[in-house]
Amino acid sequence: MDSGKVKFFLGEVLRNFTRNAGMQATAIGTVAITIVLLGAFLFVRSTLADVGKDLLDQIEISVYFSSNATTAQEDALRSILVHDRRIASIQFVPKKAGLAELSAQTHGVIDTSLLTENPLPDKLRVRVNDAQLVPAIAQALRKHPGVANVVFPQTVVERLLQLGYVLRRVGMGVIALFLVVAGVIISNTIRLTVFARRREISIMQLVGATNMYIRAPFICEGLLDGVVGSLVAVLILIAARYALWPKLILALPWIQLNAGAVNGPVLIAQLLLAGSAIGVVSSWISVGRHLRA
Amino acid sequence: MISLRNVSLIYQNGVRALDNVTLEIAKGDFVFLVGHSGTGKSSLLRLLYRENLPSNGEIIVDGIRVDRLRHGRVPALRRHLGVVFQDFKLLSNKTVWENVAFAMQVTGAHTKDVMRQVPRALDLVGLSHKSRMYPGELSGGEQQRTAIARALVNNPKILLCDEPSGNLDPSNTTEIMELLLRINLKGTTVLVATHNQAVVDRMRRRVVRLEDGRIVTDEERGYYYLGLGQGQILSG
Repeated sequence: MDSGKVKFFLGEVLRNFTRNAGMQATAIGTVAITIVLLGAFLFVRSTLADVGKDLLDQIEISVYFSSNATTAQEDALRSILVHDRRIASIQFVPKKAGLAELSAQTHGVIDTSLLTENPLPDKLRVRVNDAQLVPAIAQALRKHPGVANVVFPQTVVERLLQLGYVLRRVGMGVIALFLVVAGVIISNTIRLTVFARRREISIMQLVGATNMYIRAPFICEGLLDGVVGSLVAVLILIAARYALWPKLILALPWIQLNAGAVNGPVLIAQLLLAGSAIGVVSSWISVGRHLRA
Repeated sequence: MISLRNVSLIYQNGVRALDNVTLEIAKGDFVFLVGHSGTGKSSLLRLLYRENLPSNGEIIVDGIRVDRLRHGRVPALRRHLGVVFQDFKLLSNKTVWENVAFAMQVTGAHTKDVMRQVPRALDLVGLSHKSRMYPGELSGGEQQRTAIARALVNNPKILLCDEPSGNLDPSNTTEIMELLLRINLKGTTVLVATHNQAVVDRMRRRVVRLEDGRIVTDEERGYYYLGLGQGQILSG
């Protein structure tokens, strides 16, 4: 390896990077702002998805047996559900336990001691692995002999599933938009640095430098802009996370916010990668335009 | 070494810069390309280093079909050529040494070759003692000598000069022309586009005259004007 070549190349990159400090600051700032927005968006999306998943996990199907259902019918259904892989758990609530539960849930407002007969049927509480399957499983359970009624919070399930779908779709769109906008801005910034160095580039072309050789320092500059910009953004996001999270939990007590829903190191790696990619791709495009012109 | 056959160049705005030009330049020749501004001298040079492509015709430079050269092969062609311009095209933030070395470094030359070649090129143009100075600290003639050293550092077989004395006073012009002659004597083919009549008439070399994009005369030991030296025109 020719250390002189490496030294020359790195010297050129560093010299140009520091010479156009104002433009580099603009590019870095653009990357930082974009990555902060992107990071905040991904964080909120993951947290909301986690809240949604948490709510969906709590959803249960209540299967009420008819008053004349036989023990054999009830056992048969329990046996089927135990062996069904889609089912996360089942809990049998005999009518006596159901009455006690009702009394406990209503804090004694309903005085069950006055009842001469237990009006509640036997019940199965069923939780499924995938919330999307709730309506279909509930439908199937209705047809089972001995089952009088099957109840689940249909509207909640539908809304949550819809929310998840919208979050995924809108999320992809918003992320794509962020990346394109940042790419265009950085591309223009690097075009300015290319323009500022057009004389140098024309001399390089004149003496027979290959396009790849001319491109390389600009790509490195773009990469540096991307890495430094996204590092700044990550630091801002970490600071914001520690400053705002406790306040958010206090402000939204009814939502079970879970800090662990976001995998910090993975998110940081994704953001650094996104920043670097924006820098490299946009500088590649800007120099390419100039070299073709 | 250089061959143009029936070459025409029509720019996108419709201007016909060159019209059916045929020209042969042998290895080791020293050729002046003369004519008024706008007659096609610079356009012809630009075709040779593949800055432009001809509209018609065939161009061969050192065995390379330039008119059919793919974009990706242009750097290889330019490493066979040295090009010098009126405005020197030096990098003001680099020293004389760095400007000359730059031409080698950007082609990926080994450092030991750079260290060997740059002092030789600077010695040839007589600027070894100013190698640490910046272009802004040099005279016009010295800047042009730096540009020539840069053009020569990769040992090109052909040196193309586009109005090399255009920005220089008569004394510096003489210096530069003598330098080009010395380079030519070492075997480099030199093609100089100029409208400096004094230089052409004094040096008495091959003179190709362009008018409206056409070659109108081609003399072995010619004057700027056909058959007439500067003194003869003035006295006539």
